[in-house]
Amino acid sequence: MKEYAIDVPVEPPKELRSLFIPIPPEYVEDVYKSDDFLILVGPQHPGSGHMRLIVRVRGDIIQEVIPDPGYVHRSMEKLAENRLYIQNIPLVERPAIMDAANFNLGYIRAIEEALDIEVPERAKYIRTMLAELCRVGTHLYDAAILAVFLGHTTGFMWPFGLRELICEALVRVTGARFTSSFIIPGGVRRDVDESTLKWIYDMTLAMEKRLKSFERIFIKNPTVIARLKDVGVLSKEEAIKYGVVGPFLRASGVEYDVRKVEPYEVYDELAWDIPVSDEGDSYHRFLVRVNEIGQSLSIVRQCIKQMPEGRVISDQIAENGSDIRGAFYDSLSDIVLPAGEYTTLTEGARGTIIYSIISDGESNVPYRVRIVSPGWLYLRGFMESMKGERLADLQAIYGSFGYFPPEADR
Amino acid sequence: MFDVVQILNYLFEIFSSNMMDIPLIAPIVDFLMQIPLLNILVALILWKPFFAVVIMPGLGVLMLYLLYIVWYERKLTARVQWRVGPLEVARPIRGAIQTLADGIRYFFQEAIVHREAHRPYFVQLPLLAFIPVLLPILFIPAGSAVGIYTPYSIQLIVTFLALIPITIVAIGWAANSRFAYIGSVREAFIYFAYEVPFIIAVISMIFLYSSGDAYVAVEKQSMIPGALLNPIAFIVYIIAMLMATSRLPFDIPEADQEIAFGPFVEYSGILFGLVMVLAYEKLYIMTLLFTILFLGGWSGIYCPLLGDLNGPLWLFIKTVVVISILVIVRSIYARYRLDQALRIGWTSMLALSIMALIVGGVVGVWLS
Repeated sequence: MKEYAIDVPVEPPKELRSLFIPIPPEYVEDVYKSDDFLILVGPQHPGSGHMRLIVRVRGDIIQEVIPDPGYVHRSMEKLAENRLYIQNIPLVERPAIMDAANFNLGYIRAIEEALDIEVPERAKYIRTMLAELCRVGTHLYDAAILAVFLGHTTGFMWPFGLRELICEALVRVTGARFTSSFIIPGGVRRDVDESTLKWIYDMTLAMEKRLKSFERIFIKNPTVIARLKDVGVLSKEEAIKYGVVGPFLRASGVEYDVRKVEPYEVYDELAWDIPVSDEGDSYHRFLVRVNEIGQSLSIVRQCIKQMPEGRVISDQIAENGSDIRGAFYDSLSDIVLPAGEYTTLTEGARGTIIYSIISDGESNVPYRVRIVSPGWLYLRGFMESMKGERLADLQAIYGSFGYFPPEADR
Repeated sequence: MFDVVQILNYLFEIFSSNMMDIPLIAPIVDFLMQIPLLNILVALILWKPFFAVVIMPGLGVLMLYLLYIVWYERKLTARVQWRVGPLEVARPIRGAIQTLADGIRYFFQEAIVHREAHRPYFVQLPLLAFIPVLLPILFIPAGSAVGIYTPYSIQLIVTFLALIPITIVAIGWAANSRFAYIGSVREAFIYFAYEVPFIIAVISMIFLYSSGDAYVAVEKQSMIPGALLNPIAFIVYIIAMLMATSRLPFDIPEADQEIAFGPFVEYSGILFGLVMVLAYEKLYIMTLLFTILFLGGWSGIYCPLLGDLNGPLWLFIKTVVVISILVIVRSIYARYRLDQALRIGWTSMLALSIMALIVGGVVGVWLS
């Protein structure tokens, strides 16, 4: 179709100058001279989360999306420099509170690597179980957000209802619904009793049953498939080039999972698969995570079945091997890491979490803590995948990535 | 003075010559008719054209229906979604007056008119939008009660229904906001997508009954309802109804997550209350027509105690039952994209409606 330019003087709207927008004025002028249109989605928009998306559209087609993140930046890396190592444990969980155990685990493993602490087997199983429970919770949360972005309110309420089971399991194990700070250097805070483990085992079976009805109403729903299929496609090469991580990389056909590549805790002793898909569109980004829920529930069951008896806190840390209460500050407040840099990779629910602790070897606070969260890593791929799609697809692609601004901003 | 009495007497003659005959309330009516001046009022209320337009199935029950359907939709959706729904306002009746409470709150809330809006139109249009909603009621017959009798009532109802999207587009224009603008454009697109198949489906039913007269349509459905006579038109009409009233999966002009309630994004207070119920009113009118065309209209089990009220009551009950079934789509479907909805409208729905036209012609010949 031939386009006809109309020579009408167009002035950029005033608010593009008065609001703080991280794009040069020349860019705005260029947009308006070339018959395009700038739409600011967010930060108060119901479908944007805590961020602003500067969308350049021609007609209904997105030409370019410039992200403006940082609305929930809490300067965690700087805060971490002024606190004791164990005081940082609650802090590093905060980027993604649903995914608390995975964020916690990465930080603790960096400390354990530095201090050469041997973690008891039972503690490893409990940690793996917690990490997988949090993964299921996060995937359910993201599925709910995707559903409400598509206008499917039942698909929003059901995963949130299901997530209550995960929260209840975490309450029974740790005493808190999500940010439990349960994992400490040398193990976990407390032992878990048999009845709780039995409850969690039954809960995973009950959840699988309810996920089937969720599959009927949302995952196999023709309107959902119509909205998500062939939308926001990232090919394998693009996904690698833009540094996409986690389930979104696996949805583009790259079989990479930190849990398989560099196994930590007890992942190498359990039987599980990496869900992979080749299409790389929004629907398969969602499906990969749905399949991961099934794998994670299976991992949780295996953990409970194979969990050995024994201590849950390393004997290097405390005398009492089943409960840290009363001895927590005595044994852990004065830890000093040897000088050097300690980096761990952890597979969080949304992708690879990188923790890097730099210690000067003499102070009881870290010299520098570097946190790279998956949201920040796949932001570029997320923006690139929206090019050439329609404006109405912006929310669908957003939901399919499960982008969580607090996690990316840290 | 003499003139006034004469005019009143003249009016009373007109009203009382064509009154609703309801045996159930006949003693009360007879008693009130003996009181001077009050008898004119009673005669006016029970005057058939007035009764049809203002009481039933017109304005009065429309308000009742609005109070009911908003609550019912929320309650049904909540039940599907493992929730409770509105409960706190009037706990003993499960929060049934929640809509009334919301209405009162809207009424006392400040209605903000933003600086960029075209102020006169922005404030007027929610009220003006009622005109095309209420005009079809004039021509919708319910048994012997009818506002204006015409043999072209079905065509007239469809014509006035087609005016409603124009007011919505005008609202979006007057709001002068980006999201309202996108919403108006989407509304215009969707309008073109459903209107053609909708009108063809109605024409197929007019072919079938060989008349645009609602009375003839209801009479010809005395044995078999229209839904069985022309099932294809039935399906097309339901889908067009969902599109026309912005129900999911065609909730495109008002998509909350994409364009934040579209044309109505800038409204607040009672003005928002007015535009919010616009789609529900349109749904009501379209379902009245749907009941007349496909479900046998006002025919039902005759109760001698109700007399003339039988017709309007059956029409209203059928309409509300149909709407109560329709609102469940909200908890089942996600939203289509605009281009997908347009594709559905211009390909499968158009093809189906043309098939319905053929079926309507064939069955119409067989019926006559």
